[in-house]
Amino acid sequence: MNHLIEARGLTLRYGRKTALDDVSFSIPKGRVVGLLGHNGAGKTSLMRALVGLAAVDGDLQVLGLAPRRQRVQLLESLAYIPDVAILPRWARVSQLIELMAGLHPRFSAERARTLLRRTSVGLGDKVKTLSKGMVVQVHLALVAAIDARLLVLDEPTLGLDVLSRKAFYEMLIEEWCDGERSVLISTHQVEEIESLLSDVLMLNEGRVVLSTSLEDIDRRFVALAHDPEAADAIAAAHPLLRYRVQGGSAALFDGAPPPELQALGRRLRPSLVDLFVALTRRPELNRTQGL
Amino acid sequence: MQTWDPHGPIYQQLADRLAARLLDGELAEGEPMPSVRALASRYLLNPLTVSRALQALDEDGLLETRRGLGMYVRPGARDRLRQAARARFLNQEWPALRARLRRLGLTAGDLNWEDG
Repeated sequence: MNHLIEARGLTLRYGRKTALDDVSFSIPKGRVVGLLGHNGAGKTSLMRALVGLAAVDGDLQVLGLAPRRQRVQLLESLAYIPDVAILPRWARVSQLIELMAGLHPRFSAERARTLLRRTSVGLGDKVKTLSKGMVVQVHLALVAAIDARLLVLDEPTLGLDVLSRKAFYEMLIEEWCDGERSVLISTHQVEEIESLLSDVLMLNEGRVVLSTSLEDIDRRFVALAHDPEAADAIAAAHPLLRYRVQGGSAALFDGAPPPELQALGRRLRPSLVDLFVALTRRPELNRTQGL
Repeated sequence: MQTWDPHGPIYQQLADRLAARLLDGELAEGEPMPSVRALASRYLLNPLTVSRALQALDEDGLLETRRGLGMYVRPGARDRLRQAARARFLNQEWPALRARLRRLGLTAGDLNWEDG
C-alpha cells in the first residue's frame, strides 16, 4: 500500500446540501497535511468520512481499509480528535490513562506518562482543574501514545492562547512526526501552521480547489512585491490576487509571469493565506469587486 | 511563534540561523547536531524543511554524517564560516559602508575603536 489515504470521487449530501462534491486526494506516509477551508467548506464532513462516522459515495480507503465497514480495525491504527472532543471533567489524568489502556490494544500507558512528564500536567490532576491548553495537551498525549499510523485533528488549537498552541505543535512534531506516520490537521490559523505543513488540501464549498505539496506551491505560484507605478502593468497580466504587503503592493500569479513583468517586482514566497484567499473567494464577489 | 522572512526559502533561513549558532560556538565542532525532530520542534518547521537545511550545511562542508550516528559539526567548520563571513564583509558590506562614511565625511580617526 503506497498511500495512507486514497480518496476518489467522494460525495456526501445532507438532504439538498452537498457537503462533499467529487473529492479526490491521497496522503502518503510521513506527511503533515493541512486541511483548509472556510466554515461550511466540508472539512469536518471529510474528516468524519475518513474515520467512518459518515457514509460517503465514492472510493475511500484509509490505511487500506473501508472506514464504514472496517471501522473497528481502522481505529486500531488511526487516532482522531474531533473538534468537539471533551474529556470527562471529574476524571484524574491517571484514570484516563488506565481507561485508554483498557480500551485500546495499541495504547502504551508508559509512553503516555512519559509524554505528560514533559508538560506541566500532573498525573493526579483532575481534568476540571486544568486549563484549556493543558486539556488539549493531555488529549494529544493520549493519542500520541497510541501506536497508530494516521492522526486526524479537527481544529485542535481552537480557543488556545499562543503559548498553548506553540506547546501543542512542539509536541505534535516531536512525538508524532517520525517520517512514517502522517497527520491531517484542520485549522483556521493558516499562517501559524504553514511552516509545519508538507502538503495542503484546500476545500471550497465541498470541492477540492488545491491538493499539493508546499514544495510544489513554491514552484508553481509566484508572488511579486511591486511599486505603485507598476500596478497597471501587473493588473493587466491577470494575477490570481492583488494584496497589500509591508511597504507596498503585491500580486500572486499561477505560473511564472513573463520576465519583463518579473523585472518590475521582487519575488516573495507565496504565502498560504494569500493563496487560500485567492482560491476560495466566491466568484460572485469577484464580479462585484471587478478585480 | 517563529517568524520567517517572506523573501527566500525557509530552509535557507534556517541554514543561516544554524550557521550563526555554529559561528557562536553554541553548536561545537565535533559534537552531534540536534536531531531533525528536535530542530523541527524548536523552530516549528516541517521535518522535511529541516532536512533540507541540514543538507545545505552539509554541502557547504560544515557538517559530516557519521554512519548510524547522524550528523556532526565538522572540525574546522567555525573557521570556514568565519572565512566566508569575512569575505562577505570585505566584498559586499565594506564597499557600501565605505561609501556611506565618505558621504558623511568620516575618517578612521572619527570612529571610536574602543568598546563602550
